[in-house]
This record gives sequence, structure tokens and C-alpha cells, in this order.
Amino acid sequence: MKAKERVKESKKILHNVYLIEKGEKRILATKSKYGSHYGEKRFGEFREWIPTRSKLAAMLLKGYRVDIKPNWKVLYLGAASGTTVSHLADIVEKGIIYAVEYSAKPFTKLIELAEERRNIIPLLEDASKPERYSGIVEKVDFIYQDIAQRNQVEIFLDNIRMFLKEGGEGLIMVKARSIDSTAEPSEVFEAVLRRLSKQVKVVAHDSLEPYHRDHIFVHVRLE
Amino acid sequence: MENEDVKLSSDFVSSFMNAFNEELPFNPFDLGVKVFGSPEKYYSALRKTAIEVARLKTEKELKREDRYGIMLLKALDELNNSINLLENKLEDVKEIKESEITKEMEEEIRRLKALRRELEGEIERVMEKIAPNLSAILGGAIAARLLEKAGSLEKLSMLPASTIQIVGAEKSLYKAMARMKKGKPAKIPKHGVIFQHPFIRTLPKKKRGKMARFMAAKLAIAARIDYFTGELREELVSEVRRKYEELSRS
Ligand SMILES: C[S@@+](CC[C@H](N)C(=O)[O-])C[C@H]1O[C@@H](n2cnc3c(N)ncnc32)[C@H](O)[C@@H]1O
Repeated sequence: MKAKERVKESKKILHNVYLIEKGEKRILATKSKYGSHYGEKRFGEFREWIPTRSKLAAMLLKGYRVDIKPNWKVLYLGAASGTTVSHLADIVEKGIIYAVEYSAKPFTKLIELAEERRNIIPLLEDASKPERYSGIVEKVDFIYQDIAQRNQVEIFLDNIRMFLKEGGEGLIMVKARSIDSTAEPSEVFEAVLRRLSKQVKVVAHDSLEPYHRDHIFVHVRLE
Repeated sequence: MENEDVKLSSDFVSSFMNAFNEELPFNPFDLGVKVFGSPEKYYSALRKTAIEVARLKTEKELKREDRYGIMLLKALDELNNSINLLENKLEDVKEIKESEITKEMEEEIRRLKALRRELEGEIERVMEKIAPNLSAILGGAIAARLLEKAGSLEKLSMLPASTIQIVGAEKSLYKAMARMKKGKPAKIPKHGVIFQHPFIRTLPKKKRGKMARFMAAKLAIAARIDYFTGELREELVSEVRRKYEELSRS
């Protein structure tokens, strides 16, 4: 390792999640026993967590925290090939992630991840049909959703209704264009927030710029 | 002994695959722990089964998913033909005489049109799933047409951008080549299926070729990503949009 790239300082921001000063850069990383999953760098006991590839990383880098606990049970909707799931699995190392994805191709890589880790249950299912996996998924502490669908908010709420414990947390990554490709993003987001707050408590929300254009995260809680 | 093991596990797989329930009155975890003795044992069995089921399902899906999209599109084409034909015949009949049977024909046409809407919706959904990048750039309907003309996602992923640009314009391409062979003047077509896209159609004529070329280059990349990883790359779509905005301004 070159001298100027040496880790200068690292700050723990969540269980197994660190902000690391490395050379001139500030990097987000998870402490991980495992190898690289999507081309991210490994250094020492860390795996770099790339904000342009993962909206959760973008949110954390922007300074917002959801206090994800190591023993949490998680329902993850829109797992794709497991980029974000791999880091979340580092965090909830004593918990479990039910990872739902409906497209077979990226899912094959998610299966590889589930084979490597012990805390991922891969489910090739459609998140808009939660009754198809309600015999498998239990009540969870946390629901995370990242699917670019027109009816993504309804999907999120349906899954919250079926699977979130009382007091549980939810995080949805919303892409304006996928809901309405012609409307102003700000209008789309307002409608989304209004719809969500009818069913759950909206704890916080913010944009994911500059990492993801026209995206926001919304943190909710079931009270 | 071994037989029993196999039986137990395959039963577990099939019950897992059939776990289509309404909201359950109990938490699957509680039941699982009771049956398997401890959370660790339950999760370990659940994980093994999930992985096994996932493998079976993906294998099956991957084999048939682009065929499914193409077949749906062919069915849609047939349906459109039928609707047009019926509508024409109905007009002919009505010109002579309106009757009970013409009302029934109208009713039938309405039903066929409802089916058409459902087919179109399913095509959108399927395309978004099997070719997220092509769909994001082109919309599901045009993406499906491109896929159909290419024959499969694999074949489409191997086409160079210059071919993608004129997929669907083969007829006029052959005509143009035949003319040129005879030494006559001819125009090489600049765009095939993708010409239906508003980003090309709404541009002034002299900018369409440029847009089609750019779009085809991005589509070639999109097809490869769709074929190999199936993951959406947002930046591809925004590059196409930016190019369009740039061209429509200048
Ligand atoms: C933007 S990607 C997710 C990326 C992933 N969350 C990550 O950060 O690693 C969206 C994914 O949602 C999936 N998806 C869309 N609609 C879905 C649905 N109804 N059910 C399950 N998955 C869906 C898509 O196939 C796609 O893989």
C-alpha cells in the first residue's frame, strides 16, 4: 500500500460501518469477512461501499442514519444482484435478510451471495404479490425497498402491512421518473410523501444527489 | 434411510414453492423454530431450501423468458390483425343492415380490445424485467419489437450498433442495395424499429440520423448489459435523454 493511501482515521457510524479517511478521500466501508462482490475494493478488513452503486451508501454518506442493529431481521425488496444486500449482510451479521427480487438474471448473482453468507434468504418473487411469500417471510424489524416501479409506494405499504413489526422501520428509495416520467420530480415526491404519511410516520426524507439524480430516500416508522 | 432424507427435503422444497398464503395468523419463524428445534436450525434449513428453490426457478425462468416476451408480441400482432379485420367487416355489414348480430360483433371487438390492453401491459412488465435497460431507453413496446426482430436477447446482444439502428428496416435496405447494384441512386435507411421512438420522430429530419446513431450505440451496450447481468444502469438512459435535449435545443 502506498504511503499516501494509508488509512488515516476511521470513524464508526453504524455496526460494522465506517467512514475512512484514506489519502485525500473519504470512503464508506463495511467491516467484512468476505471477498469483493461487485468489483468494490477490499482493504484490510474492509470492503468499500460505493455510493453510486448503492442508494443506502449514498444516504449514509449524506449524513443520514437509520440505526440498523446487528440482530435485525430485514425484508429487502428489489435485491437485484445483491450490491446493497452484501453490505447490509455485514451489518446485520446476527440477523437475517429476506431478499426479494423478481428478475432471474441478476438474481443468479444474489444466489451466489446467499451461498457465501449465512444470513440471506433469496426469494425469486414479485414484491407486488407479498401473499406469495408470506408463508416464508416472518415479521421483521426493517423493510428496505429499492424498485423502480410505478406503483412502488403501494408495494411498500402492502409489505409493511404484512411484515413489519409494530415500531419497525422502513426505508424506501424513490425514483421520480419511474412513477411519472413527465411530471416534475418535486411534485412526484410530494405526492409520495402525502401517500406514505396516511399509513405510516414519515421520520425523514432527503435527496440522494449528487450520487443518484432525481431520487430521494424516505425513512418511515410503523407506530 | 437415504431415501427418507431425500423425501423429506423434496417435500420441503415443494411446500416452500407452494407457500402462497394469505396473511398468516402466525409468524412462520415461531412455527419453524418449533419444528426444527432452534432458530439456528430453522434458518439453516430455510436458507438451504431457499437456495435450492431459487436455483430451480431461475434455471426455468432464464430458459424461457425472452421467448415469452416474443410470443406475447406475436400474439399481440395477430390480435391487432383480427381486430382490424373484424372492424372492417363490421362496417361493411352495418352499411347494409344493423341487426342483433352486429351488436354482438361490436361487443366481441370491445372484448378483444380489452384483451389487447392486457397484452400490452404484460409485454411492458415482461420487458422491464428481462431487458431493463432496453426498456428504460425505448419503452417496453419498442424494446419488445426490437427483441422480436433480433430473435432473442442473446442474438440482439451480439449485434453491432450499426445493425441495431436499422433492425426492422431490412426491406428498404435490400431495396436500396438492389437499386445501387443497378447503378441507380438510393438512400440507405437510417433507422428501423427505433424510429418509432419519440426522441427520434420528434426531431427535425436532418437531426434524426444523428440521434438514431447515438441511440443505437447506447442500445448495443444496453442489450449486452441486459443479456449478461440484467441490471439497470441509470446513466445509460440519462445519456440518451441528454443527447435528445441537446439536439432538440440546438
Ligand atoms: C434499482 S434496482 C435495485 C438495486 C439494489 N437495491 C442494490 O442497491 O443493490 C431495482 C430492482 O428491483 C427489481 N424489481 C422491480 N420491480 C420488482 C418487483 N415488483 N418485485 C421484485 N423486484 C422488483 C428489478 O428487477 C431491479 O433488479
